[in-house]
Amino acid sequence: MPVLTVDGVKKSFGGVAAVNGVSFALEAGRIYGLIGPNGSGKTTLFNCITGLERIDAGHMRFKDERIDGLKPSQVAQRSIGRTFQMIRVFPELTALENLLVVTRGARAEAERRGREMLQFVKLERLADEYAGNLSYGQQKLVEFVRVLMTDPALILLDEPAAGVNRTLLNDLLAAVARLRDEGRTILLVEHDMKVVMGLCETVFVLDHGEKIAEGPPGLIQADERVIEAYFGA
Amino acid sequence: MTPSRGVVLSALAVLVAALALYPMVGTGYGVRATLQVFMWIALAGSWNLISGLTGYVSFGHVAFFGAGAYTGAILVATAGWSWPAAAAAGGAAACVLALLIGYPCLRLKGPYFAIAMLGLNEVLRALVSYFEGLTGGGNGLSLPTLDATRSIYYVMGGLAIAVTAMTYAIVTSRFGLRLMTIREDEVAAEAMGIDTFRHKLAAFLLSAVGPGVAGALTARDQGYIEPLSVFPLAVTVTMIVMVLFGGKGTVWGPVLGAVALFVIQEIVWARYPYVHPLLFGAIIVAVVLLMPRGILGLLQLKYRLPRTI
Repeated sequence: MPVLTVDGVKKSFGGVAAVNGVSFALEAGRIYGLIGPNGSGKTTLFNCITGLERIDAGHMRFKDERIDGLKPSQVAQRSIGRTFQMIRVFPELTALENLLVVTRGARAEAERRGREMLQFVKLERLADEYAGNLSYGQQKLVEFVRVLMTDPALILLDEPAAGVNRTLLNDLLAAVARLRDEGRTILLVEHDMKVVMGLCETVFVLDHGEKIAEGPPGLIQADERVIEAYFGA
Repeated sequence: MTPSRGVVLSALAVLVAALALYPMVGTGYGVRATLQVFMWIALAGSWNLISGLTGYVSFGHVAFFGAGAYTGAILVATAGWSWPAAAAAGGAAACVLALLIGYPCLRLKGPYFAIAMLGLNEVLRALVSYFEGLTGGGNGLSLPTLDATRSIYYVMGGLAIAVTAMTYAIVTSRFGLRLMTIREDEVAAEAMGIDTFRHKLAAFLLSAVGPGVAGALTARDQGYIEPLSVFPLAVTVTMIVMVLFGGKGTVWGPVLGAVALFVIQEIVWARYPYVHPLLFGAIIVAVVLLMPRGILGLLQLKYRLPRTI
């Protein structure tokens, strides 16, 4: 059974069909890529899945439960986590507090796990620093481990590689691969084709809100419609 | 460098003891002024719970004070309740009002919520004036005479402590941190699984209790209330300025702001009565321009003071 099923989802803003009848299914323990030119609807689709945008038509299932119509917090509570294209850490909370807010249960245990997570991305020294004082790349890592703190079954990553230096990026990608090995499902939006091609098992291509291709990265790269969407005719 | 927990607690204990003994030795004016400071600490601290922590600015918080005042006054004057019971009822009434108002209004985003709260206060004032039979309308409501200032001093002092202690408990908890995520980035908070509406509503209910109790106590102490005296916008503005001055979202900011501004206000009021109305406007402008986080907020960011400050 797929982890996530997106079926005929449509979302328009005024006269613009940002997402126009997109369907796909994600299986557990795999990494999927979502690519497409700017304005093709990738982030809008993320927002639809996570409940930030109410969809106009179609439906979405997480495991065997409908998730369209749920509030973002309800979607998140069903173990769907996400990061944002523009970083959204809580700037006046410390790095550790950023992780604590998503935890339940014993606080000491939560703090221990939080510090462990920060250690995992080599930020343990900055645990008590305000997140707003961290560098862009560091904030990105805080956002990344904040999602992991929620123990998500499905993780949506919106441009995880953007603005992250090479060394850090390799660590991050290794972490994503490890999450997959733990049986989690990852859907990532990414402009860096090397990242997409190296990591994803299946790639979906969006253009003007429609899915124009789906398949393994090698085939997608050679697909004429994809090339046309990117380079124009 | 930060003093140990024991030192802080001892200092606080001495302060509380001194304030507890003060009515035995203090002048009538002194006791009354200190009672007022207690009230302002409770009001500013309560406003801080919703607006300082979640960033949802309530421009009508005096509505809870007024609702508590009328509830308490009516129960004392017409139902013969004792004033402590009436004060508890005032807090409960304010809480119920907060639920009725918060349920629809907290779905509104920031500025719209602020305006809705401003409207609420005006509506309540109009309603109180309209239902003359119960409230005395514009003529006001007189309570049976009773000199309970000293007792009320202690209860109001207890209220100020309770509000501050509650703020401490909230700010140092994950519930408090989650309230701050609403201020920091509500969309991200939602996406992280935080039910922002329920958090806001909980903070709003907690923030209404203090003003409700304070209103009922004030009504009893003054023995007479009228719509204009318990629903003035100026009281909301004063709470806001006190919190902004001391440091919004901090534990001690509202206390510092309430004490400092009350003292400044008394001095200016006595010496330059015509300058007095200008004072708060000038302070708002100065605070917003020079230190938008207030005194403690500034120190907290600069020296990374713990959240317990």
